Amino acid sequence: MPFLALGSYRIRYELEGPKEGPAYVLVNGLTQYAELWAGYRAALVARHFRVATFDLLGQGASDKPGLFITQDDQVAALGLLIDQLGDGPIFLGGISFGGLIALRYAIAHSDRLKGLVAMSSFAELSPQLLLLGNALRTGLILGGTSYLQDLLLPMNLSDAWLGPQLGNLDAIKRQGWLTNDVYALQNLMESFLDFKPLTSQLGSITVPTLILNGEFDFLTPRSLHESLRVHIKDSALVIMPQAYHAFTLEKPELTADLLARFAEEVLAGKWKGGQSVWIAPEKAGGALIPFPPEQDHLRAIPKATVPT
Amino acid sequence: MSEFLGPLDSIGRVPPQQQTRVAAFLISAHGALARQLAFALPQQMKAGWQTELNAQLYRESEIVSLMMRATSWVVDPELLMLTASWESSWLPKPVMGLNDNALALTIDLAALGHAVHAAIRPAALLPEKALAGDAFVMALRRIEFESGRVMQAQIVFLKGHDLLPYRDAVNAAVEQRHRQVRDLWDAMLRGIGVERAAKG
Repeated sequence: MPFLALGSYRIRYELEGPKEGPAYVLVNGLTQYAELWAGYRAALVARHFRVATFDLLGQGASDKPGLFITQDDQVAALGLLIDQLGDGPIFLGGISFGGLIALRYAIAHSDRLKGLVAMSSFAELSPQLLLLGNALRTGLILGGTSYLQDLLLPMNLSDAWLGPQLGNLDAIKRQGWLTNDVYALQNLMESFLDFKPLTSQLGSITVPTLILNGEFDFLTPRSLHESLRVHIKDSALVIMPQAYHAFTLEKPELTADLLARFAEEVLAGKWKGGQSVWIAPEKAGGALIPFPPEQDHLRAIPKATVPT
Repeated sequence: MSEFLGPLDSIGRVPPQQQTRVAAFLISAHGALARQLAFALPQQMKAGWQTELNAQLYRESEIVSLMMRATSWVVDPELLMLTASWESSWLPKPVMGLNDNALALTIDLAALGHAVHAAIRPAALLPEKALAGDAFVMALRRIEFESGRVMQAQIVFLKGHDLLPYRDAVNAAVEQRHRQVRDLWDAMLRGIGVERAAKG
């Protein structure tokens, strides 16, 4: 199990795939751990990418500071990992909290990246997200990791996924419960206490950027992704049909395929972001459909686009 | 070596020898916290934090009492040496770099409390097939669950505004107590055939 040294702390990471291939670095969500990317490693390595995953500071097998973790620490850990990857093309993807860390890295180091994928991400805390985050933190404190998982599972996954798993949820929750500690999750959540919106800095991201948003994402809804699309020049927003916040867990084949296709298009010089809006296919390999331009993609009900 | 307690008996109970060693460690650590809190509380009568301290004192006593009753005890001669070693580790160590000795001792007490409640996860030692209704199993789950709340007293104090000027010293004290508690806990577990997965 290799580790990087972040000051006195250790960051556990994993590299897989051809050394000479373009690299994909994947950043976990707040309650996740690197092994949840296992399916992505296999799918992306099969398409000749080198894949780097890691546990954030405070997660999984990385060190868990007792009291203080800052988002700057996480960006620094990500930077250390990227520094391991040489001078070849690097694509960076992150989900939720990991998307925020990826955005922060891209703001500071766009020149180091070939492309960015922000999944279920945000650059600002809307009142809803702020209050939900506070409530989730209180839930963690009062009810432990298991209760936090009880809140997040129905919030972030669809009935189609949850239904067949209802009898198996304890086993699904157990690995996350074993891997992540209450105090460390609390520290990760409290790294938002002095959070400043990144929106005004998004213009610094000059690389092709794919923004993926679940159609029914309740935690980080469309408006937060729209803010990314509008402020990142070479971006495209892709709406994942029938998906919620945790679509990387629910639709791994489709998401891995979209990640690979995005990188392949960028590398082939065929990527056209143009702040466009798309609908992802239901299954991996399907065609993306342009969002009907006469409809407002921020609304759930058909509503004509307001001319600007 | 296994990551979990066991092998369990035919109905899913933890071997008494493992119960004895785990319970002795938890009683030693939480008992030490209870004793130190009992001494510290009268000095904190004006602090808002005393509300949390008072609650914690009784939670620590509850954990000690629970483990004494819920454990299937067996004779374990090694405990004579082990307990002496554990008890000496919990002795107060004023945090370095502070002129106020009372505050330095209070920070150390909070750091020890944070480490005991955060770094020790007794329920995570239970295999999936552990008998849910067994007294020892329920006690370990109860202690781990309560630790998440009890720890808040430490967090409120250690991350509070009053200690911001001493952040580096506080951080160092907490990390040192975490390392100490983790090392002792891991060593005790290895003595009963349990090896925790590599973690931070």
